[in-house]
Amino acid sequence: MSAEVRAPRSLADGFGRLIVLVYVVFAVSAGARAGYQVATKFAEAPLSFTLSAVAAAIYLVAAVAIIRGAPRTALAAVGVELVGVLAVGALSVANPDWFPEPSVWSHFGSGYGYVPLVLPVAGVVYLLRRRAA
Amino acid sequence: MIEWLYLAAQGVALAMSAWFFVDTARSRQVGRRHFVGVAVLVAFLLAQLVAGIAIVPGEPGTGKGLFFSYLVTAVLVPVAASFWGSIDRSRWGIGTVAASGVVVAALMLRIHQIWEFQIHVG
Repeated sequence: MSAEVRAPRSLADGFGRLIVLVYVVFAVSAGARAGYQVATKFAEAPLSFTLSAVAAAIYLVAAVAIIRGAPRTALAAVGVELVGVLAVGALSVANPDWFPEPSVWSHFGSGYGYVPLVLPVAGVVYLLRRRAA
Repeated sequence: MIEWLYLAAQGVALAMSAWFFVDTARSRQVGRRHFVGVAVLVAFLLAQLVAGIAIVPGEPGTGKGLFFSYLVTAVLVPVAASFWGSIDRSRWGIGTVAASGVVVAALMLRIHQIWEFQIHVG
């Protein structure tokens, strides 16, 4: 067993595996939902739906970067995601009129159980610890 | 949706998740008993799908496509997570499968909302 412990681990091993699962689930669900909303009722809340689509794209980039072992790209994607959820969250509280329909990141991801807020924090902590190791 | 079947599936998803998170804390590797647990959950979700195919087309609402896309996703998530998690030799192998139980519970909650407000109306 010690050989397995010493073997170089990829970014998607260990806790990274759980992170990838959540990123893929969010990329697919946010992406499918945003695609559906853009196709059927884009005019109702263009900003919300566009931001949801952007969020889905960033989730996908983060998942692929972790799976393929690209730590810099992963950290950049997760960093943009953290800034995005904080900025959009604050904006949605300050200007609720701009968000007639919820977005993935509006109100700091409250519509998704605040997972969109917790996920980038967990991702940044994980990636920085892996880089230090 | 059959209410008791929905509640049973939710219970199974959360119970499986709790059990697997306990095994995560104990650093257990993914084993046969875990696959049995996932199989039980998938059986409940497939029962949900069969019941949906039997009941939903006769309902008046318009959210039927949404309902089935969410339900099929809910069936696939624990299966995919089992493959993805079982390759890992650390505690997070089973931790990943545990997380998929929470995802299923969240999807089921959404499916139940779609049923109540967009399908079983009037």
